[in-house]
Amino acid sequence: MQTEPKPIRVWDLPTRLFHWSLVASFAIAFVTAESEKLRDIHVIAGYTLAGLIAFRLLWGFIGGGYSRFAEFLPTPRKLADYIKSLMNGKPQHYVGHNPAGAVAIFLLLGVGIAAAASGWAVYEDLGGHFMEELHEGASNGMMAIVVIHLAGVIVSSWLHRENLILAMITGWKKLRNPAHENSAG
Amino acid sequence: MRYILIIAATLFAASAQAEAPRDFLARFEKEAGAAASAERGARFFTTKQGGEWSCASCHTEKPMQAGRHAKTDKAITPLAPAANAERFTEAAKVDKWFRRNCNDTLNRLCSAQEKADVMAWLLALR
Repeated sequence: MQTEPKPIRVWDLPTRLFHWSLVASFAIAFVTAESEKLRDIHVIAGYTLAGLIAFRLLWGFIGGGYSRFAEFLPTPRKLADYIKSLMNGKPQHYVGHNPAGAVAIFLLLGVGIAAAASGWAVYEDLGGHFMEELHEGASNGMMAIVVIHLAGVIVSSWLHRENLILAMITGWKKLRNPAHENSAG
Repeated sequence: MRYILIIAATLFAASAQAEAPRDFLARFEKEAGAAASAERGARFFTTKQGGEWSCASCHTEKPMQAGRHAKTDKAITPLAPAANAERFTEAAKVDKWFRRNCNDTLNRLCSAQEKADVMAWLLALR
């Protein structure tokens, strides 16, 4: 039964501020990576990124609703079902993070920690060339996950006819069919 | 497990292909198709080449001694092979740092001739 679209607040303010600050700090760190002249900006951006991820790890436990890790912890079963539903052309709808998006988020948090920690070590002259390679590998890996995440956002927005980017700005989504919603957690 | 060991051994073998500083002089001279000049290298290294910094801004005009990062003030180990046996022993590292540092000092990549000249000068330092 189709009902009136119901507005729902999905992303709280701390989660949205975290998301866009992470975008900014990662973008700044990435474009300043090749320059010694911009090294100070690169390091500040990297430490900011580390602080933001530390906050998000905390918020995943003490934050509310759809921000909690328990809400979108992707089990293999849910991930498989979700991918199957995508391939069948009948994608399951999730109010919060869908299981594929949730995988990208946990990967981003993990690789982001690796990038920041190895970057700190490089700056402190620890670990030599190996640490430099690790830092570059982790950072490029993070960029690769960002690209996949963006592709997922675009495809998912199109499949479900909802603007996920706008939802991450305003925090609001409109539920077309509130009775048939899933939760990844 | 056996595959992991094989991969690890291959990676280790690849990374262990050490080169000598002279190999880089030979390589850059070959790429440039001309002999290197230590005198030209010294001038190139110690004067600004269009950018805000010269090589010497961080590595000092006497790279037998330790330098300081012009932005962060962090210590930089000596660049001359005679003072630091670890310098110019790994192609990936040499290419990476020429790329980065040339962009910072020249706002472009260095030519093979420029790299050959700098190598000749650094190798002549005692």
